[in-house]
Amino acid sequence: MNKWLKQDLWRHLVGVAICLFALFPLYLVIISSFSSSGSLQLSSFIPKEISFANYNKLFNDPTIPYLIWVKNSLLIAGSVAVMSVVIGSASAFAFSRLRFKGRKLGIQLLLLVQMFPAILAISAVYVIMERVYKFAPEIGLGTQPGLLLVYLGGAMGVNIWLLKGFVDSIPSELDEAAKIDGASEVQTFWLIFVPLAAPVLAVVALLSFIGTFNEFILARLFLVDMESRTVAVGLQQFIGGQYSQNWGPFAAGSILASIPIVIIFLSLQKYIVSGLTAGSVKG
Amino acid sequence: MTYLIRGKVALLIKVVVVALLASVLLLLAQSAFAQREYVIAAFLAISVVLLALTYLSKISIPLKFFIPGILLLTAFVIGPILYTVAMSGFNYKTGNIISKEEAIVQIKVRGIEAAPSGLSFDIKLGTVDGKPAILVSDINTPEYFLSTLEDRTPLVASSLTLNEYGVAVEAPNFTPLNESEFASADKVYTGARFVFDDRFFIALEGFEAGVVSQQVLKFFPESDQFRNLLTGAIYTDNGRGNYSLADDKGAILEPGWRAPIWFENYSNIVTDPRVREPLIRVFIWTVVFALLTVLTTFALGLLLALALNKPIRGRRIYRSILVLPYAMPSVMSILIWGGMFNTEFGAINALLGTDIAWFSDPNFARLAVILVNLWLGFPYFYLISSGSLQAIPSELMEAAAIDGANPRQIFRKITLPLLLQILSPLLIASFAFNFNNFNLIFLLTGGGPRNELDGEIAGATDILISYTYKIAFGAGTQDLGLASAISLIIFILVASISLYSLKKSKVLESFA
Amino acid sequence: MNRKRFGFSALVAAFALAVSTLVAPSASAATEIVVWADENRGPDLTKVIAAKGDWVPGFTVKVVTFSSFDALKEAFDKATDASGPDIVVGANDWVPTGAKSGKLAPLTLTAAVKARFNPTQFLDLTYKGKLYGVPVDINNVAMIYNTKLVSSAPKTFGEMVAEYKSLKTSKGLKAGLCIAGGGMSWGAHSVFSALGADAYQFNSRGQIVYNRAFNASTFGKNVRTLLMDGNKSNGFFPATDTGCKDNFLAGTVPYAVIGNWEWSDYADKGFAMNLMPVPGVKAGTYGKMFGSVSGALLTTFAAKHGVESAAKSLLTNFFASSDGQVRYQTLAKRPPAEKGAQANTTITAAQRGFGTSASLAGIPQIGAFLNSNKGGANYWDSAPAYWTAVLIDGKDATKEAAKLSQIWRTNTIGGKGDL
Repeated sequence: MNKWLKQDLWRHLVGVAICLFALFPLYLVIISSFSSSGSLQLSSFIPKEISFANYNKLFNDPTIPYLIWVKNSLLIAGSVAVMSVVIGSASAFAFSRLRFKGRKLGIQLLLLVQMFPAILAISAVYVIMERVYKFAPEIGLGTQPGLLLVYLGGAMGVNIWLLKGFVDSIPSELDEAAKIDGASEVQTFWLIFVPLAAPVLAVVALLSFIGTFNEFILARLFLVDMESRTVAVGLQQFIGGQYSQNWGPFAAGSILASIPIVIIFLSLQKYIVSGLTAGSVKG
Repeated sequence: MTYLIRGKVALLIKVVVVALLASVLLLLAQSAFAQREYVIAAFLAISVVLLALTYLSKISIPLKFFIPGILLLTAFVIGPILYTVAMSGFNYKTGNIISKEEAIVQIKVRGIEAAPSGLSFDIKLGTVDGKPAILVSDINTPEYFLSTLEDRTPLVASSLTLNEYGVAVEAPNFTPLNESEFASADKVYTGARFVFDDRFFIALEGFEAGVVSQQVLKFFPESDQFRNLLTGAIYTDNGRGNYSLADDKGAILEPGWRAPIWFENYSNIVTDPRVREPLIRVFIWTVVFALLTVLTTFALGLLLALALNKPIRGRRIYRSILVLPYAMPSVMSILIWGGMFNTEFGAINALLGTDIAWFSDPNFARLAVILVNLWLGFPYFYLISSGSLQAIPSELMEAAAIDGANPRQIFRKITLPLLLQILSPLLIASFAFNFNNFNLIFLLTGGGPRNELDGEIAGATDILISYTYKIAFGAGTQDLGLASAISLIIFILVASISLYSLKKSKVLESFA
Repeated sequence: MNRKRFGFSALVAAFALAVSTLVAPSASAATEIVVWADENRGPDLTKVIAAKGDWVPGFTVKVVTFSSFDALKEAFDKATDASGPDIVVGANDWVPTGAKSGKLAPLTLTAAVKARFNPTQFLDLTYKGKLYGVPVDINNVAMIYNTKLVSSAPKTFGEMVAEYKSLKTSKGLKAGLCIAGGGMSWGAHSVFSALGADAYQFNSRGQIVYNRAFNASTFGKNVRTLLMDGNKSNGFFPATDTGCKDNFLAGTVPYAVIGNWEWSDYADKGFAMNLMPVPGVKAGTYGKMFGSVSGALLTTFAAKHGVESAAKSLLTNFFASSDGQVRYQTLAKRPPAEKGAQANTTITAAQRGFGTSASLAGIPQIGAFLNSNKGGANYWDSAPAYWTAVLIDGKDATKEAAKLSQIWRTNTIGGKGDL
């Protein structure tokens, strides 16, 4: 008992303190979601009422296709996650394994491009996509495929950080051997590299899934149709009013929308921890 | 499965996929061309050539890995960045948004003014002898006439069919438009000038009303001038995107257009104190904010990782709870934090028993920003540092312990330096991310507090990107040109800081 | 290798050619008028149009609803003719910037249409003498009081403060009067005005007086005596609108200024709609509230899409007509702007209550002055800054009022050219 106190007590104290810190705002979100007044419950720590009106609104109000939004979010975020990992890992593989001119310059440029304050570039993206809409209405402004393309635009750069170190850490003997076997670089990538990198690829996919799931700055410009909105955009209508905000459904919708993320997150916890570090640990 | 990647089947699949993709892109290029979107068409055509060359020949192996990423990156990241850079050379702000051609059209439209009499009539659109005409009813007088582009014919009420309001709907020789003809009527009738008298004409205001009008501003393309036909005043291109009077540069015609002013936006940053001074203050706070954020999130994450580095009881539960801030949509969490910091009704003051004006005192506001960002960011650093801790070879620490080092020394001399080395690229990435952490500032404090009564332009928690956003998209005048120039400068700053740190941390060494 | 490559390229080209012939370009005249609206107005407009869509013969109307007011504003800022709307239902303060930048197009209303509206409503939608849209609904606020806490309508501002002080401890009040709707600048104008600080001044004939602003020492004195205890707020008027609605509904704040778009939230909770303007310092005077209109604004894209006259017809036949406004406001529950619709019996008592309250003590919202920042900050930023400076930071009420007065005066003069 004495030893336990000495060695583990501080660990539990830190854990409990930080857990409280982590949970406190979330608790307020939860009680706000059970309040029917529509505003954030900020100062009363004991819920005044337990009302399911907000949840009811999300599922039973015909003007709020919440489940369709969830489906859209899962679909878009899922596609972005998979495709961006393919694009990102291909580049990371090439940067790490292939020798070519301008390799260092290339990766430096790629990293720097990510640092551009993109807030103004959104205007340009908007103009490009509204022009695309003129000749290809299926993939232009206002469509999910159009938004997907824009998200993928950043795919090559964003994940390079996490992937690069990991790729470096995979021993190159394996692909040397494959080379001797007569495999081409593309074959080495698919047959040797991808299976080896599977855990870290899963993590990168998950991170970009979460990022895409919560993105609303671009999405709200693209997904105007009620039926094509994602959760992040759809829920905006409750709080984006000029002067009136209805926090209840927003809180309820946010909580429900974060459940799939939490489930994936917790079930992949081991992967995530090893994957995140693998990216930065060299060999 | 390998046959999918090797051999004849693989080759066939590759050819079919590339052919399909190329034909779709070509098709798009063709329709883009048809819609006169030449830049996009050219980009698509080049993409097709590059795709075909890369995948159907052996011109470059690395390109096989890069091409999809490069094409998407060019279209949606590099293209827009170049656009931003280009904008910074223009006088591009509220009042000067559209192109010069469009501006001339707009000025002409606004140059039409209602006659001083203010007369307006009910009208019916139709044709006389196949030519556009309007059947005009002045129900107050009442008076009726037919007006075409050439002349005006008075009508007597007895020859007309009137509706219940006394508006003429039928007249001899006059063929009213039927419903299906209205759709194409806009081209013919809108902007047409139906005769009223020598000075004035009747212009359409919708399909049912006509207003007696006159052209006040007239454009002379050969001299690139607008002339006010009533006063004789002449407006010429002032070189900054407006037509203005020669002797009074302030007297401009609106709207203007975006005109190149080259480096003026950049020189304004240096010379205009209203731009320069806030910018310096904001820059310092941005660096401090980004550094403090990285430091605090890393420290808390590491502390937690150290505490939970041992399989103590309940570790799984702790972990599950600790990732929750990461999973919650950050919009929701930032806004709820904003509410919690409210002075009168917020949870923080209620909990502490204080009445701190969090968001109206500059230092408390900064503290709040850091605190919220700590909440948002520590789980990430907890995850990566706990992973890294496991990756540090335990022999090192055991050896140190045998040498008589206490746990604190081991941590300071061995664990921390190793961790820092491992995590430095991610720390730099986190710095760069927070340098541009727009959402946090925008949603939490909006950049405030700002002492508007004393004429402050930037708020105490404004970071460069939120300040730029205000310049570009704020209320009142939106100056996209200046904001682009500032963006470019921010980029150069953050890029050089990051590159320098990268060099120092030797992350890029493996690419030498 | 070479031959193979050539073969592939030929295949690609042939395939592309084959597919491309399938697409025939179509260029028929546009018969659709596109209207953009925010998340509140869009759904109601969609319903109204679905019930009766033939407002312009030969044309259909398509309503595009954005997920939030901000998203609508941002998209409209960014839109060009490729995607832009023909009509946008937006705030009146979009008019000056939209007109300046050439995104909004002017229109001239006939005398008959003009007569349907109160002339001051056009001020909101006018820029440099030209009109850019038609008024759709009135946005205003009114004061509501909790009849369980205070029995009768207060006659003066001082009466409210006295009432608050007497009930403060016994009822556990958190504040006396707070702004639940419209924020600390727009909604709070009624309080500014009640204490003697109007955003701009009118003479007895109703004309704007440009070179004068409110009297800072009178206003400062009123703030000190009514809202302060020494150099601290006396708790009557919080400098924030956060939490006001909840506290009013919970019975911890007796008086609140609420927006007309949310009255049903209060009515549903069983509050009697005792609407009134904010009483002034002297009995019989009231704080003036902004009675602004939202406008259906004509864009320059309409002309490019070839539907300019059709869009103008839609504006007069639907948006500015009694029939259109009654149909729309029956769903939207805001006070209609059009006179005939205001008189219509389907418009509810509360909608009318706000209308009456506005006519009793209203001030037109003139974007040219309020958006101007010639004085260093526009009205929207400087107004809340005053409350913060005085009520939270404890700065001198009169000195800060002098700054505010100077800013507003300069803004009014600076905005004159935009009117």
